Amino acid sequence: MSAAWVAELAQQHLDAAYNLGRWLLGNEQDAADAVHDAYLRAARGAATYAGGNARAWWLAIVRNCCLAKLSSAQRETDWARSEAAHVAAAHAVALPASAVEERAQSEQWRQRVGECLRTLPREFRETLVLRELEDLSYREIADVLGVPIGTVMSRLARGRALLQQALTPHGEEAP
Amino acid sequence: MSDCDTFRAQLAPYLDGELDRADARALEAHIDGCAGCGAALDELDRLRRALRDANLRHTAPPALRARIAAEPLPLPARRRVPSAPAWLRYAACALLAFGAGALAMRERAPGAQAQLEHDAFASHWRALAAATPVDVVSSDRHTVKPWFAGKVAQAPVVRDFADQGFPLVGGRIDYLGGARVPVLVYRHGQHVIDVFVLPSGSATHAGASAQDAGYTLRFVTLGGQPAAIVADTDASELAKLIALIESASSS
Repeated sequence: MSAAWVAELAQQHLDAAYNLGRWLLGNEQDAADAVHDAYLRAARGAATYAGGNARAWWLAIVRNCCLAKLSSAQRETDWARSEAAHVAAAHAVALPASAVEERAQSEQWRQRVGECLRTLPREFRETLVLRELEDLSYREIADVLGVPIGTVMSRLARGRALLQQALTPHGEEAP
Repeated sequence: MSDCDTFRAQLAPYLDGELDRADARALEAHIDGCAGCGAALDELDRLRRALRDANLRHTAPPALRARIAAEPLPLPARRRVPSAPAWLRYAACALLAFGAGALAMRERAPGAQAQLEHDAFASHWRALAAATPVDVVSSDRHTVKPWFAGKVAQAPVVRDFADQGFPLVGGRIDYLGGARVPVLVYRHGQHVIDVFVLPSGSATHAGASAQDAGYTLRFVTLGGQPAAIVADTDASELAKLIALIESASSS
């Protein structure tokens, strides 16, 4: 495989790469840098591409570059902590009960969904992002994460259960 | 109600499109009569819609796109001889070794056709061993065909022959003889049939066939396009599918 092939692959799946980076690293600058690193690594390693799903190969490299950036465990906890504060704030705002304010509620609801996803532990967050936002198959996700498909399924199940819990506080039913 | 535990575990794969048709039908039949499992499915579906409707996907900033486009391409380190990926060969070897009692290893003549045979069998077995033999699930050419576009040089003619007993399960991309080729996956009864659409000008002999471990590979020409078909169905059943594709391709 040639470097030109990698260039095409990276451009085609740049949104997917950047989105994964944002959900792993939390901010635009780090995500963009990680994707750029991943591109250089992929272009150099193009000859080592050993077949299989190309998008999964590319996203696996992106993820590795993101994790390298995360390696200072400090950062992740900092980010999670600041995000936890956001969530606390989001929860502090009382949701409008009236159906008349449905529009406002739906905007607030969306924000809350985002905050809840952000505060999930990384392994559940990345699995859900690849499935729900990138629409990857179980097999592709397994390739990106380097885990068996069974692990993908159990992480999805656990991640979804955690999200459902977070989105229905006080035993309320989600709208 | 003891079935519910089994069905509950299938709800997520069902929503994720990872359940095969037979299991999906069984699940749907169960849900029709089980309010509890139906409610659990609704709940999962609500969560999915919440995630997808919340505009959570970030798109790459134009600056990043430009940065990457401006990056000079490194020269390839070495010229690669087109060959099957090493891990595919290992996968095939592992499968052969695994069933050594039943399988007969045989010498393969070197050459393009032997390489294609080798890769096609390996791809088929690897797909059978995977959770699902397809990367895009569909019985509808309107989702399979666009999926191929842009992934491979030659998008194949995609037709569903469910009415004739050969439903189209979906498609995947695999490597044959070093080339990325589209694979159409059909089902016939319990059998999975892989149709590898080969690049025009492939050095194959239409009509040639090979056997390995009870699986048959046939090289054919479908609407002028060389193809390789791997399956463990009867030769007569396979001939039916070939005739169906042939007539659809030329129409």
